[in-house]
Amino acid sequence: MDPTQMGMALVGAGIAIGAAGIGTGIAQGQVGAAAVGATAENPKMFGKGMILMVLPETIVILGFVVAFLIMNA
Amino acid sequence: MLRPEEMTRAVVVGSIESLDVTIECLYELGVLHLIDFTAQDEEFRLGQPLPKASDASQKLLKLRSMIRSLEIEGHKPSETIGVPQLAMSLEQALVTLDLNTSSKAEARQRVQSLIREKESEMRTLEPFESFEIPVEDYEGYETIFSVLGVCRSDPEGDLRARVRDIEVLKSQRKGDIAVAVFARAEDRAEVTQVLTDHGFQETKLPKVAGVPSRVIARNRSEIADLEKDLTRTESDLESIRKQFADLIVASEEHLSIEVLKAETPLRIATTANSFVMDGWIPSSKVAGLQEALNRLCCGLAFVETLPVEKHDDPPVKLKNPVPVKPFEFFIDLVSTPKYDEIDPTIVLFITFPLFFGFMIGDIGFGLGLMALGAFIRFKFKDSAEARKLGAIILAGGFFASVFGLFVFAEAFGVPFHAPEGAHDEYAWDGFVYIPFHHVLDKMHDIKEMLALSLLAGWVHLTLGFVLGFVNHYRHEKKHALAKVAWLMVLLGIFVEMMVIAGNATVTSEFLNSTVLSPVPGASVELAGMEVSLSAVALIVLGIVGLALTEGPLALSEVIGLFTNLVSYTRLAALAVGKGAMALAFNSMLLPLIFESHSIAFIIMGALALFVTQMFFVFFLGALSAGIQAIRLNYVEFFLKFFEGGGKEFSPLRYERKYSVVSK
Repeated sequence: MDPTQMGMALVGAGIAIGAAGIGTGIAQGQVGAAAVGATAENPKMFGKGMILMVLPETIVILGFVVAFLIMNA
Repeated sequence: MLRPEEMTRAVVVGSIESLDVTIECLYELGVLHLIDFTAQDEEFRLGQPLPKASDASQKLLKLRSMIRSLEIEGHKPSETIGVPQLAMSLEQALVTLDLNTSSKAEARQRVQSLIREKESEMRTLEPFESFEIPVEDYEGYETIFSVLGVCRSDPEGDLRARVRDIEVLKSQRKGDIAVAVFARAEDRAEVTQVLTDHGFQETKLPKVAGVPSRVIARNRSEIADLEKDLTRTESDLESIRKQFADLIVASEEHLSIEVLKAETPLRIATTANSFVMDGWIPSSKVAGLQEALNRLCCGLAFVETLPVEKHDDPPVKLKNPVPVKPFEFFIDLVSTPKYDEIDPTIVLFITFPLFFGFMIGDIGFGLGLMALGAFIRFKFKDSAEARKLGAIILAGGFFASVFGLFVFAEAFGVPFHAPEGAHDEYAWDGFVYIPFHHVLDKMHDIKEMLALSLLAGWVHLTLGFVLGFVNHYRHEKKHALAKVAWLMVLLGIFVEMMVIAGNATVTSEFLNSTVLSPVPGASVELAGMEVSLSAVALIVLGIVGLALTEGPLALSEVIGLFTNLVSYTRLAALAVGKGAMALAFNSMLLPLIFESHSIAFIIMGALALFVTQMFFVFFLGALSAGIQAIRLNYVEFFLKFFEGGGKEFSPLRYERKYSVVSK
């Protein structure tokens, strides 16, 4: 592959995982704040809060897969 | 294991005369989970507290107020006291304490508040000490007024410019300036305005007489006297504390238990001549309870077991072998399983330390974690939670050591042997030869580790669906079948992943040629990717099954299952990340230690290495590995089968720490 193309592909992979990470971060920040609040009021909420907290991680995982596919293509 | 303790619905019935003995017996055995009686009617009424309740409650109230005034809330008696001795000494002690403690505690409070008052007077007067005007002379005039306070900047110039006939006293202090202003009463508004512009804060003088410096000196000597009083009262209280603290705390515990027992009839049904306690008993304990009741109540009370009805919701007592028990900690954090649900503690017992160990994968840190776990386990004996957590860290550390020794062959981020092609890298074989070579290298075998993570994910998720199948099988066959459909989709996704990986990793090569070899290998090339027809067939079949069993909405979760599986790559990611971090610190700081000739640099390098390794790699690494390991269980695994919401088994029972029944 031409080095410029290769470079562009790597930049693309970086953007894929970076942007997905930012998205996850924004979502998790909000869910996390609410989950901490709920846990402070009722420690039994820890498990439920944690499950809700990690739902947005799907986004970054998909970003990771896309980046991985770009790198291997 | 896997199932909670079997429960039997039982009623304990007896003659009302044997009620107190029965209650005593039940609390001693701690096997009956009482169901509160609520449905009163003409025959069955709520019981009355036992006669000893009111006396015990009164004493308890007194003891608790004494505990507060003596400030011995957290006191732990050095030795236990027998109940007969408690009962004997308590009457006498209560009289003595009643006379002394409350008056002493009140006196202490009075003196303390007096001291506070005097100190606040001193603080108020102190800025105006240099003016030497008696406090009472600041007020009581008809035509002039005075105002005192502190300004942020000097107001004198402005005041004199704008107000006629004015007296300004000031004294510069650290950061502000104390002022006293005397002026005509009609100029009050103007003066206030100017002062406000200079950031004025008014001070209200206390009701005392005399020059401030004299008042302050007087207060100082008074405070000294009061403090002497306070010390005397304190030492009196201290001697009371020394003499009675153990007795008070032990009695408080004993009386709490007595009150608890005496008030139990308020939760049960009674008639004029009999009582009925409804509840759950572990099936294995029914015979023992009957025997104890026969012995103690002479046939006046007995246990009757009832058949379990469909809408009954028995309480849940998890039943696990001793080594597995600490992992119930993680179950408690989420929710108690339902009675007819599978208890996944045993799976956590295996997967948590395994995941954790894989992510840490370093014998140095592993041994450190084992030491930390053992310390928590044996140091905080009083807290059951801390003991469990300690045991969990100990198990995690053990697996981390095993992985570190046999798989990754490294200690504190430094490999046992320098990797091939990098012989100048630091390695332990410069000091000591360790006869283990790495199977996986965190920096170079990343694909292999990813494949291993996916394999772990597939096994873990498969187990989750199997448990889900078992949970649903007895209630709803349809939901159980849906789990089979999910299993097919999961297998399809995994087969496809392994086909793509092909021979690139040892793991996928091995799996393709063994476990997955019965799967037909036909495949087509699609958009540059090898797509296995068997995988597609499995996924399509699974999706059809899902649509039939759980409805079309379930289809939206198929992509979720894919992310669940990929989510396990965090195992590899964390292991690599931690390895890279340790390597980075080591390669920066080790040369500083071994190659510099200045002792100062060597010490600085060693310190920096220690701090960074401890903080970034050991604590943060262990914390994130722990969180990720439990998260994979909670989110990916539990959601496949676990519902929770069971009622915890909480039998009639008490715990004595400081009082002993027979001594």
